[in-house]
Amino acid sequence: MHKLETEVLVIGGGATGTGVAWDASLRGFKVILVERRDLTHGTSGRYHGLLHSGGRYAVKDPHGAAECIAENQILRVTHAHCIEDTSGFFVVLPEDEGDYPDKFKAGCDAVGIPCTEISVAEALRREPLLNPRISRVFEVPDGSSDSFLAAHATAQAARNAGAQILTYHEVTNLIMTGGESDRRVAGAMIRNVVTGEEMEIHADITVNAAGAWTGKLAAMAGIQVTIMPSKGTMVAMNHRLVNTVVNRCKMPSDGDIIVPSHTVCVIGTTSVNVPEPEPLRIEPWEVNKMLEEGDKMVPGFAQARVLRAWAGVRPLFQDTYTSGKGRDVTRKLALLDHQEREGVGGFLTITGGKWTTFRLMAEATVDDVCRHLGTERPCTTATTPVPGAEQGNYWLGHRLHDIEEQHLQGQLVCECELVTRTMVENAARRNPLLTLDDLRRDVRLGKGPCQGGFCTYRGVGILHEMKKAGSWEVDMSDEAGSTAKWDVAYLQSPGHNLVSDADGHQSNQHPANTADSFNPNLLLRDFLQERWKGVTPILWGRQLKQERLDELIYMSVMNVDHLPDKELASPVTDFYRFDTRPTVEEVADV
Amino acid sequence: MSDLLVIGAGLSGLMAAYTAVKAGLSVNVVAKGLGSMHWSAATIDVLGYSPAQPETAVKRPLEQIPALIKANPQHPYALLTNEHIAQALAAFVALSKDVGVPYGGAANPGDNLLLPSPAGAARPAYLAPKGQLAGDLSRSEPMLIVGFEGLRDFFPELIAENLNKLGYSARAAFLPLKLATNRRDFTNVQLAQGMDSKEQRALLGPALKKLLRPGERIGLPAILGIKAHATVLAELERETGAPVFEIPTLPPSVPGVRLYTALRSYLQNLGVNLTAGMEVIHASAVAPNGTPGSIQWVESATSSRPLKLLADKFLLATGGILGGGFNSEMNGRVWETIFDLPLTVPQNRADWFQVRFISPEGHPVFSGGVTVNKAFQPTAGEQPIYGNLWAAGNLLGHCDTIQERSMEGIAIATGVAAAQALSS
Repeated sequence: MHKLETEVLVIGGGATGTGVAWDASLRGFKVILVERRDLTHGTSGRYHGLLHSGGRYAVKDPHGAAECIAENQILRVTHAHCIEDTSGFFVVLPEDEGDYPDKFKAGCDAVGIPCTEISVAEALRREPLLNPRISRVFEVPDGSSDSFLAAHATAQAARNAGAQILTYHEVTNLIMTGGESDRRVAGAMIRNVVTGEEMEIHADITVNAAGAWTGKLAAMAGIQVTIMPSKGTMVAMNHRLVNTVVNRCKMPSDGDIIVPSHTVCVIGTTSVNVPEPEPLRIEPWEVNKMLEEGDKMVPGFAQARVLRAWAGVRPLFQDTYTSGKGRDVTRKLALLDHQEREGVGGFLTITGGKWTTFRLMAEATVDDVCRHLGTERPCTTATTPVPGAEQGNYWLGHRLHDIEEQHLQGQLVCECELVTRTMVENAARRNPLLTLDDLRRDVRLGKGPCQGGFCTYRGVGILHEMKKAGSWEVDMSDEAGSTAKWDVAYLQSPGHNLVSDADGHQSNQHPANTADSFNPNLLLRDFLQERWKGVTPILWGRQLKQERLDELIYMSVMNVDHLPDKELASPVTDFYRFDTRPTVEEVADV
Repeated sequence: MSDLLVIGAGLSGLMAAYTAVKAGLSVNVVAKGLGSMHWSAATIDVLGYSPAQPETAVKRPLEQIPALIKANPQHPYALLTNEHIAQALAAFVALSKDVGVPYGGAANPGDNLLLPSPAGAARPAYLAPKGQLAGDLSRSEPMLIVGFEGLRDFFPELIAENLNKLGYSARAAFLPLKLATNRRDFTNVQLAQGMDSKEQRALLGPALKKLLRPGERIGLPAILGIKAHATVLAELERETGAPVFEIPTLPPSVPGVRLYTALRSYLQNLGVNLTAGMEVIHASAVAPNGTPGSIQWVESATSSRPLKLLADKFLLATGGILGGGFNSEMNGRVWETIFDLPLTVPQNRADWFQVRFISPEGHPVFSGGVTVNKAFQPTAGEQPIYGNLWAAGNLLGHCDTIQERSMEGIAIATGVAAAQALSS
């Protein structure tokens, strides 16, 4: 069996895991990160994209609020291109009046969150669709973040510092050594979910950053870590109804944040305890609640076209499990040293927290790694921008500007999200991918109003042409991307993808070792189903008409339901086929 | 004021307008958009897959229809005899020749054609534009599928590979994009317009001839001209000495644009006043009260002010959910947007969908629609709701025309039949 040796093994490719890999590799450790699916498959890829100012926690959790504002200011530098500087409003609706607004202002002041009360007239001038009945508005430095790009960029920074990032590599078991008194985690047994190959990774220390799956992983070491998965549902509208993050100025609750994100805006969230982190159903009352609450902040919100709904789980950590409501359980980061807690060495768990504090979580974790490995190495992530940050903040016209400047209109593969053919080609070469869903996370393919109607076929056709031309291989081996070939800093910028990699350097082409893993018909079917899964909870009105057009294209014009290779399935096929339809009772309850 | 106002300019609306004007009525057509021809492959699909056997393409659709009706007595085809359907299709074929966009069928009359789809599957279709006919997979010549480098809507290697897997002989080749266009921003329609120019297409024939092996036929993306399509096709066949056929692309559909444009100008020459871009939003009617009510006028949205449109008779051909004739909302309500006609669509979202996007059973929300009597008048119970309202096309319920591949067949057959009923 294949064996790899490393100092630090990180399990989980979300914001936290990639952050730990980045931090540890910058401190000079040899690092391997394993993720059972694509980067940000879990909670990091399923949130509303809010860069917290801390305002949301100013009253309830001042410590958390202080962490947020500090990290907010750091990430604006280290991950500049992953952040849009939208600013944020906390608005007081008629039903929110009372003493909370004053407490809010005092809370912000106490922990150093810049917070200015602005006039309602000024707020309405900047956000004309806001409810004119608001009585007070506070402005704070909230922002909008792209957690897909951020994880890529963080992973790239780690890779540049020597880390190895293995996606589609699943932990099947932990390697345990020692007896009753000196039990240790000495690494993990890993299975390549594409090829089925098994291998051992031996590590001096293993970091459990598996997010919502943290408890399951800890159980492999015989340790109980109680994670309370709390589902949050989000709904994306097909316009940016606001350009500023809009929060309700009240105790955090359901559906009280609207975040502008690229060309759309996202409202979130609910908070529902669920037994398992996956799969997650979206219930009609949740969608209804989001639209109703959105309508209070932006009248007419509920009549706008809904693009999609999705849910993520907050991996809330509780030392002793109670049935408390999800939002009231601490959102603080939890770093569990299993040597101290259970006497199991070589094993740390980092969980809790939120996207905004992922860097801090990584810093705390790697500090502990240093202590365990008996070395002192200072953390440098707070002052080390990741690749791509030199582009400055994201702005809405970013892609359109590049496309018009460079006349790339004829290259557009996805008109909704302005993805060019070369962006797709380079993303495929630079970043191991298994499904079109991975490409969606890389370049935003299929995220717009037609939900894959046009770009699914084009994406498949382009990958197939690349494959035929021998300019790209599906490479999911443990050497995949372990070289300079993995380069995602400019993945999202049309203007940086004018020339296809194949025309330039031919470096690091790996031999095909998974020739059968690429099948265009499977890719097509998988992505159509993946998009379907997220639209069924919100299909009515114009989006239902859109979906019928997609059916016309794929059934009537393409006849994809009669393509060959029907028996094939990918490791994610079943996940996409999960039933997300509302039930009769649920609809009746709304 | 006209004898008949047709609402909707898709295939059913235009065939109905044609039939009525031929019967001596004065006809106006008003439509929100351009109809679904612009989205489709522009073939006439009568019955491609029967719900009883969704995996196997129907070989002879008209012969299969009785079994279809037996299993589903409310199917729109059940309103007609096979003879009616055949006559309506024959009328379409004759009209297509008259308008200059001739359609044809399989070599063996009555069979479905099997045409290569842009994904390389075999599409069953009853009639196809002349330019697609040489693609029939029942023919034996091997296929050379030619694309243009960098064209985002056509992937010859994918087509050839899938056709090979299905047992057909095909190979792929590319030509430089500059043989199709010099533009940096282009759609399929713009590429096709470019081909109308002799200079633009001058190099295409010789380049194709170079790629060709003896005995092959040539498949190209459907961009071979709009106005000059027949000439482009004839020229390429002459220069290469091989049969040439088009494969439809992602929308917008160039073959659909050709058909729509030709039908529209032909109808206008017959005196039909056709206005697109005017959505009918409201109807004024005498409500039914034991006896059928009647439509007095309908109102359309324009950029300035609402416009009243008067007629003796009204024919609704706005399509279902796809055409925009029905709208729906979160609580599960689905309604017909102009007359609020009763629909057979399930009124609970829980009953709308299958788990899988690709489901041979179809999603129930898409198979509901308007119920009509044998005279194509929308009914509640036995009686027509309005004495002067008829309906035709894809808004008729009780089948999923995309799953069955019966969209155009139903549009033509019911459009013609409804116009005949209201003209008599």
